[in-house]
Amino acid sequence: MELQDSYYDKSDYVETASGNKVCRRTVLCGSQNIILQGKVIVQAEAIIRGDLANVRTGRYCIISKEAVIRPPYKKFSKGVAFFPLNMGDHVYIGEKSVVSAAVIGNYVYIGKNCVIGRRCELKDCCVIEDNTILSPETVVPPFSRFGGSPGTQIGTLPEVQADIMVDYTRSYYQHFQPNKIIL
Amino acid sequence: MSAGFLDIDCVKYACTCGLLKTLQQLYFCRYCSELRCTFCVSHEVDSHFCGKCCENLPSAEARVKKNRCVNCFICPSCRQELSTRAASKQPANPEESKATKRTYYLSCLCCRWSSRDIGLPDQTAATGSWPKRESIHSNRIQEIVSMYKGLQEKEKLDKEFFKKKQKEKIISYTDKTGITAAALRKRIGLPEDKPILKPKNAVKIVTPSKADENIDDFDEEVLTKSINLLEITSIDQRLLQPDVQPKEISNIFPIQKILSIKRSLRCRRCEHNVSKPEYNPNSIKFKIQLFAYYHIPEVRIVTVEPLRAGQACELILKFTNPTQHQTTVSFLPFDSPIEVKEAIPEEGAISQEDSLEELDKSSLTPSKKKSSSGTKLMSLVDTHITLTTSRSSARALSPRSIAESINCTVDIPSSTFILPPRDDAAEYDDFNEVHNIQDDKKLVVWRKSNKAYIKLVVTPNEDMPIDTTVTTGFTMSHLYTNTIASVADNKKPQKFNHNMRVILKLGKSVGLN
Amino acid sequence: MPLYEVEKSTIVLDIGTAYTKFGFTGEPVPRSIFRTQVKSKGQLRSLLDYQDSQDLYDMLVDFFHDIYFKYALNSPKDKPIVIVESLLCPIIFRESVAKVLFKHYGISSLLLLSSHLVSLATLAVETALVLDVGYKEAVCIPICYGLPMINAWQSLDLGSCSIHRNLQSLLYEKNSGAESLSEWILEDIKVRCCFVTKRSRAEQLSLSKPELGPCPEVKYPVEGNSILRVTGTIREKAYEILFDEDNDHLCLPTMILDALMKVNVDLRNQLAENILLIGGTTMAMGFKSRLKEELLHHMKEERYRKLNIKCFKFHASPSKENYTAWLGGAIYGATDWLNTKALTKDEYFEDNRLPDWSDLKYNTRRP
Repeated sequence: MELQDSYYDKSDYVETASGNKVCRRTVLCGSQNIILQGKVIVQAEAIIRGDLANVRTGRYCIISKEAVIRPPYKKFSKGVAFFPLNMGDHVYIGEKSVVSAAVIGNYVYIGKNCVIGRRCELKDCCVIEDNTILSPETVVPPFSRFGGSPGTQIGTLPEVQADIMVDYTRSYYQHFQPNKIIL
Repeated sequence: MSAGFLDIDCVKYACTCGLLKTLQQLYFCRYCSELRCTFCVSHEVDSHFCGKCCENLPSAEARVKKNRCVNCFICPSCRQELSTRAASKQPANPEESKATKRTYYLSCLCCRWSSRDIGLPDQTAATGSWPKRESIHSNRIQEIVSMYKGLQEKEKLDKEFFKKKQKEKIISYTDKTGITAAALRKRIGLPEDKPILKPKNAVKIVTPSKADENIDDFDEEVLTKSINLLEITSIDQRLLQPDVQPKEISNIFPIQKILSIKRSLRCRRCEHNVSKPEYNPNSIKFKIQLFAYYHIPEVRIVTVEPLRAGQACELILKFTNPTQHQTTVSFLPFDSPIEVKEAIPEEGAISQEDSLEELDKSSLTPSKKKSSSGTKLMSLVDTHITLTTSRSSARALSPRSIAESINCTVDIPSSTFILPPRDDAAEYDDFNEVHNIQDDKKLVVWRKSNKAYIKLVVTPNEDMPIDTTVTTGFTMSHLYTNTIASVADNKKPQKFNHNMRVILKLGKSVGLN
Repeated sequence: MPLYEVEKSTIVLDIGTAYTKFGFTGEPVPRSIFRTQVKSKGQLRSLLDYQDSQDLYDMLVDFFHDIYFKYALNSPKDKPIVIVESLLCPIIFRESVAKVLFKHYGISSLLLLSSHLVSLATLAVETALVLDVGYKEAVCIPICYGLPMINAWQSLDLGSCSIHRNLQSLLYEKNSGAESLSEWILEDIKVRCCFVTKRSRAEQLSLSKPELGPCPEVKYPVEGNSILRVTGTIREKAYEILFDEDNDHLCLPTMILDALMKVNVDLRNQLAENILLIGGTTMAMGFKSRLKEELLHHMKEERYRKLNIKCFKFHASPSKENYTAWLGGAIYGATDWLNTKALTKDEYFEDNRLPDWSDLKYNTRRP
């Protein structure tokens, strides 16, 4: 099915020179530590905790409404340390998902209401289905589809998954248009 | 299944084998010029890797290690991956050494099980040193196996000996002189090889199992002692360790993680690979990638008017050309015959002559010529002959009929339309390029680079009740440019029409307004 | 094990109604035991409840795909395989298995072994009475000097399935909502809570007012939101269905005795002193001692007077009962039989059928 246009209120969003579209109603803590590589959409009420550690996204990433991006921590005998969170290109994060992964590869799709436990590694080309809870330090290999609670592999993905994700995130970006002002 | 856009399968293509798949799931064998799917290609294990540590293992090593990773373990309680935790242990007397000793244990971050729960001592190395459990019966079974092997060997030798005796009555040199090969070997200093030379090699007979009259498998305690369910394993936990099948949770043991594989796919007919991944477990690239997504125009539903039984409504489809060559797309009725270049016989492999005969027939029958001109068919025959010779033992699968009923007709437009080649640069082109393509305005609504919106008129069947899924379909014919033969024979790229059936699920029908 | 030997090992499968045992030849333990299920048409389905042969074919394709690419991690093409099957395996099932393996996966040869017969290999004996209590049915076949006495075979619809049904109806009396329990929860309750009780207690329990204290009750949590009361009586009575005589006065122990009645007088004592129990159901606590008790009890009946057997002896195979048949297959598969007795690809494609013991075409002596 071809994607339909979705509209946003122009006054609500900031568009940067590199094509990032960031909603004003988001919580970007420690914004100096957040790097959005370009053509990234951050939707309303999303939270990115740059104050804990660096957060870096690739191009064409979509962070949906109320999603939380939170760098992972590790406990040491002396205390807790936070590690940066790196995200590849063409990543989609669904609504209300909480992501504490250490690495998110390219072409990753995370569904709605997921919890990605701390220090998970999501390799390139993987899909986390809606409502999945990944326990901490899970590794999701390429071309696998994870689901359930606790998340386990429930299937594989077609070999053209990378192209599907490129197509999806690109057309999402293209169809994400400002409201036409009706005079 | 719920992962949003990925599960939308309202447009399906019929594979050559008759199964309906989305374009993303299909392969396109360039040598046969036909669609293939996971069902009708043969799968092969390409490389082994561990899904947790993403380490590649050569297949021989994987086999020796029983297809399990040496370093990664899964939780015997909940099957999640175990993580190795470090614990620093203070030495008993602080004067001994200043450095604290690091020890490691396994812990499950999902269910909080840890290797300390079963009293497994912490290890000094993070990987590779975890103890393994051997089956207590393995020696006995090994004995039994070698006994049966020996018995059969003996039986075979006896038979051969008997045969020999009957056949040849000639006295051999060794029989005459008494110098046996064994003696010779001994003299030269070679080790004796017993099994061949001693046909009467004694088979070590294992003591047969003794049946016992006294059985004691009932525990009186069960009648009085109340049980704690948390201490008893579930059947899944037991079967994770088939050799022990522990009844108590205190007896479970970390399990080595089973390896995963990357697989390559091969066309059954021409034995060419249609997909071959790279060895690196982290890589998502392919050495060979004949995916239909890169060769066949993609059809997507853009909009459809409300569907009412018996009423014509407008359907807009989006066509995308993924190839580097311009193509022309035309429509044919759904049940128009699709020219299968080689009728696949029902059973087994077909000999070359047979298939050629079939081919002759198919090129002579007028009905099969419908969609393609004679010259094109000739060129097909050419390529095909070279292919059949290269085929060895492929066993093609018999195609089946398409398991989907069409309840909506499409007005097949008589005109065709052109799709320009894909141009990656167009992505960054903001201007609508001026193209001088003469379009049938009734058919083509909009176009941009390699994409076009096409308007079709569909009519759901008259007798359709409200709220049934409307399914329609047509045969799509597109001009395919095959570059593979041109490389091989130094010829120009071959062009021919490739036909396939496309099935669209348009949604539910609604009542009259 | 040396490398070259590992190279040669072949897949051994025992496809049970509930669980499939998978491993390699010459190994003492199966690599994995998993449910005989296939994800087909968007849901998990048991391989054995197929609609028609096409449906079964498709499910088997997926099933073997999992076996080869998830467990064995081996390409199937041009490799042999060993499958342990019951003598009473439905023809449509074995034919479909062969079709899938030869046609779809292009294996080089298929060695089909009878589960009762090969189980004896684990004991290194030649004569024994084998009772297989599995999921769907219990089958008893005496085997004398390596030959199954097919004329004496006994089978009853007793197994895990009937125990689960019995357990469900027992639970339903005490708990509302027990009728919707899934098969897997029932199995879990059975495995973790229930046991086979002694004969004396069973007799008491079957009375309307038993004069004995029941064993402790278990509170079984279901899906985290409700608690099932598994009373002591239920825990003891769940397995009773195996030992209660049905309308034809048949039950598990009488199967053994009936089988003995049908074999030659000279063999009866020998068989009675060589009983081998296989199948997952026989692993229940107290099962064996109860079976022995019952056998001795039934011996007193008029119909078995002729048997004149004093004692029953049971074998213990070097395995768990649920994979004894698999182990037999693994032992047979490690020998030369794999090359000499297996059905090869060419033989199969000659008439596209499997040889079957029940078919006279294959069961006559050829000149």
